[in-house]
Amino acid sequence: MAEALLALEDVRAGYGDAIVLDGITLAVPDGGSLAILGRNGVGKSTLLLTIMGFTRVSRGAVMWRGRDITRAGPHWRARKGLGWVAQERDIFPSLSVEENLMVASRPGRWDLGAIYGLFPRLRERRASRGNHLSGGEQQMLAIARALMTNPMLLLLDEPLEGLAPIIVEELTGAIRRMTADEGTAFVLVEQHAEVALSLSAEAIVLERGSIAHRARSQDLLKDAATLERLIGLRLAEEASGF
Amino acid sequence: MIASAFGVLFDGFAYGMLLFLLSVGLSVTLGMMNFVNLAHCSFAMLGGFVTVTLTNDLGWPFLASLPLAFLSAALVSIALERVLYRRLYGASDLAQCLLTIGIVFVSVAVAAYIYGTIQQPVNLPSYLRGSVAIMGQSLGVYRLFLIGVSIVITAVLVAALEFTRFGAQVRAAVDNQRMARGLGIDVDRVFAVTFALGSGLAGLGGALAIEIVGLDHAFAFTYLIYVLIVVAVGGLGSIAGSFVAASLLGISDMAGKYYFPELGAFLIYFVMVALLMWRPLGLFGRR
Repeated sequence: MAEALLALEDVRAGYGDAIVLDGITLAVPDGGSLAILGRNGVGKSTLLLTIMGFTRVSRGAVMWRGRDITRAGPHWRARKGLGWVAQERDIFPSLSVEENLMVASRPGRWDLGAIYGLFPRLRERRASRGNHLSGGEQQMLAIARALMTNPMLLLLDEPLEGLAPIIVEELTGAIRRMTADEGTAFVLVEQHAEVALSLSAEAIVLERGSIAHRARSQDLLKDAATLERLIGLRLAEEASGF
Repeated sequence: MIASAFGVLFDGFAYGMLLFLLSVGLSVTLGMMNFVNLAHCSFAMLGGFVTVTLTNDLGWPFLASLPLAFLSAALVSIALERVLYRRLYGASDLAQCLLTIGIVFVSVAVAAYIYGTIQQPVNLPSYLRGSVAIMGQSLGVYRLFLIGVSIVITAVLVAALEFTRFGAQVRAAVDNQRMARGLGIDVDRVFAVTFALGSGLAGLGGALAIEIVGLDHAFAFTYLIYVLIVVAVGGLGSIAGSFVAASLLGISDMAGKYYFPELGAFLIYFVMVALLMWRPLGLFGRR
């Protein structure tokens, strides 16, 4: 394999003395995509936080374009091309929508015009304060704000959580467009396994902080037995939700 | 009586503006980094002594000494931030209090060693002395100057915070430090710059304060209390809050001393208690 965009090599990470993740090895190529599945509390968000540099890594290495960034701070990683959409969305409440976008912007193809093209709703709300947005608008803004940093890799932490189906539709469309048209790689943590697998090329399933299974997303989508065993998912039921 | 009411209002507002300059930096530091910097008024005192030394010993004009008061306080605060404060980000409030109150003791001792324990005089230029009559009111020129300087600084601060990218980064970091870092904002640098600006303003406030409240070696302790009251009443991290709180407290302090001399300097504390019972997070506080 050519040099990966992002690689984790036998990473052990956690908070303080508590170890949440252990023995994590994975790689995402340029323009690639990875779904992280698993039950609640297995360390999916912690894995994204580790990639962003918010956890304590006590073993192994995080590599970014061939460079060891295990000790680099989050803001440095963000500037080098890692975009992060937090699970809590974390819109800056005292900034307007447009300020939320501009405060993080770096030169590149994603500017205000391109973002408003992708999310016309944000253009309508651009003068609103961050804390006056609906859940769906906040989620759009969180993704849009990360795109404004013009990342090479986008980390998405449950971007579809708690959203109405029509907005889920809109967001998945946006994620497909930005990966297909712009070649932005992404790592996606998602409860809706079927959606995550349909969006991504590769998938891993976490169990108690380690990788229990890895597969191509297409194959895992058909592997009902593994999905049920590892995440208690019965596809028929899940699918009926959409 | 009406005339004197206006006079009290005017003097109180001028005093409030002084409190604002002294406290706005602390409000931002506390609100942004949750760093308890009790030594904030040591920077103010430094600014005061810089002005005293430059004007009295070296013959500088008063106005020319003010930028130096700002700069020296800002530079010393950068040095302290690099060497000491940075180690205690994220430490307990108690650890931060112990460090910074220690710095206050050191600064007071150093000031007493160099300047003695007497009140320091400052020579104002003639055009800042005396009073002018405006609409039948006799207003102190220096207080007018103080109010003018403070309003210009407030306008610049608010504009910088609201309309510049750096200002947006400061607000973002105040709102959510983790997310700000995750988007590539160098929160440590943003904080260091803000901290230096706030300390510089305290230095300027210390220099401007000499004429109104005097300056001695204990200034760093005496005004710590007032500055903490302004920050608590205004709400952490809010410039507008500090402005309103400082004005209210300045006016009520002046009114208390003037109309209720038997209450003396206590009215300011009653006002603080009342305001904090009404709004425990401060007038403009969000957390």
